[in-house]
Amino acid sequence: MKSTVVILQRHLNKLRWGVLTVVFGMLVLLPFLHLYQTYEAAHAYDLLLPGEKSVSDSMEWLTSPFINDPVEDLNKLKGTTWSATFFGLKLSDPLAVVGQISAGKIIYLPFLLTALIPVLLTILFGRFYCGWICPATFIYELNDSLATWLRKAGLPVSRRKLDFRLKYLVLGMGIVISAFSGIIVFAAMYPPAIIGREIYYAIALDGFGAGMVFFLMTLLFDLMVSRRGFCRYVCPGGALYSLLGRFRILRIKRDATQCNDCAKCNVVCQFGLNPLRDNFSQECNNCTACIAVCPTDALSFTVNVKDLDYQGPGHLGHNYRQKQSKQSKQAR
Amino acid sequence: MKRRSFMQKIALSIGVLGFSALPFGLSRLFYPKIKAAPHQRIPLPGALADEQAFIEACIGCGMCGEVCPPRCVLFYKHDGATHSNTPYIDPARKGCILCGYCMDVCPTDALTGTPIREVDMGLAQIDRAACYPWVDRGVCGACVSVCPLGDGAIDFEFGNFYRPVVQDGCVGCGLCVEVCPEPSLPIKIVKRLEGKVAKHDVASEKIEQPLPF
Repeated sequence: MKSTVVILQRHLNKLRWGVLTVVFGMLVLLPFLHLYQTYEAAHAYDLLLPGEKSVSDSMEWLTSPFINDPVEDLNKLKGTTWSATFFGLKLSDPLAVVGQISAGKIIYLPFLLTALIPVLLTILFGRFYCGWICPATFIYELNDSLATWLRKAGLPVSRRKLDFRLKYLVLGMGIVISAFSGIIVFAAMYPPAIIGREIYYAIALDGFGAGMVFFLMTLLFDLMVSRRGFCRYVCPGGALYSLLGRFRILRIKRDATQCNDCAKCNVVCQFGLNPLRDNFSQECNNCTACIAVCPTDALSFTVNVKDLDYQGPGHLGHNYRQKQSKQSKQAR
Repeated sequence: MKRRSFMQKIALSIGVLGFSALPFGLSRLFYPKIKAAPHQRIPLPGALADEQAFIEACIGCGMCGEVCPPRCVLFYKHDGATHSNTPYIDPARKGCILCGYCMDVCPTDALTGTPIREVDMGLAQIDRAACYPWVDRGVCGACVSVCPLGDGAIDFEFGNFYRPVVQDGCVGCGLCVEVCPEPSLPIKIVKRLEGKVAKHDVASEKIEQPLPF
């Protein structure tokens, strides 16, 4: 009998989409809140254009139940997923710290500490940032749905397989280039950082910058070369989290006694992993899509530092029954 | 045959039109860009003095822009090469009000917390051949009235109520550039040189190098 905990994990994917939507929504909302702050700081409501007035009004309606002084109080929640400040707590992407150390060749402790919580969480939960928080994932997954629709409409969508170790090379090359040139190259090629700042540029500082072109190209890369190709093969952040989360304790496990070998998990896995053969590896971003799609609830989270070896075909499947009958014949 | 000649005529007319449009395109291409009042890009308050050190420290998170009350912090969005994604201030568009929020929020201390009178973004330099009171073309004093640091930073010339003179206390926030009504932007923010007080006229431009970017 399956426990309720296992059955409830089916709904984690919806929760994940909720989290992704909230993060992305905040990235869009914060620039508008900043616009409202600047209007308030200038005491210039009467001089605003009609559009600006409506921004000011709606943001006032949204925030007035919670704060008294928008100019001061709204500063408590600022930033993007690249680096943010929540009520005095500063958090940064570990990749930002790696990039800054390699570019500046000095370790600045207060900044190092801002990445402490993300690093600890990554060591415990693996590449969860990629699946649960990253604002680029939000768009990449929608892009993947678009790819499915295009495929249904008869347009060719490539799903080539490359070597997943390419991204470690990108991470290493990025560190070397940063060290030699003194520029933090990750800031210019890491999609969540690009998304965060480009949304701010677009809303508050008249128009997108060059990073948006790069991001659109990664979307095309995903459509034309490989499924979720950028995350799987290029993203330096993904490489760093994969390395940090190699011995993560929270893993998805296949319960072979419940599995019926339907292979839906392999189809739904955007990272091209192989849940059906118990092969999650460090690349798994704990996105729970395979748990949600599993018709027999065979997949669930467990606490374990290693993936199981291949457990053989699922006990509810055709292969397993054949094997059993063969064995029983031999025994007779 | 008839259809063929018709197609030829269409092709010819398109060719002629395209060729006649060519000079317009070429003139657009080769015409020098108008730089009547080139906008300046000055560093943020509290930014590390060494430009290279600032680039190495700045991770391009954009939080300095997100907390700026007058929204004066702009970013190198599609230019600036090594500066890309780092912040700057365009004083002709918006000056810095020296509130210090950006220094507080910067996670890497690329913008180090600095008391406002010790901020060093540069030094204002007034072109005395363009400033209205200096050429006796009116009364103004906008720069002096807007200055957040008062007499120590910019003051009127002795005995004249309208001719502005920049003092040693100027930190280069650029509010005077923003308010100046003269269209040629007579006030520039120049780099403060060690042990030298900027002379505030056109002739001294050889001594005071404008910022290189």
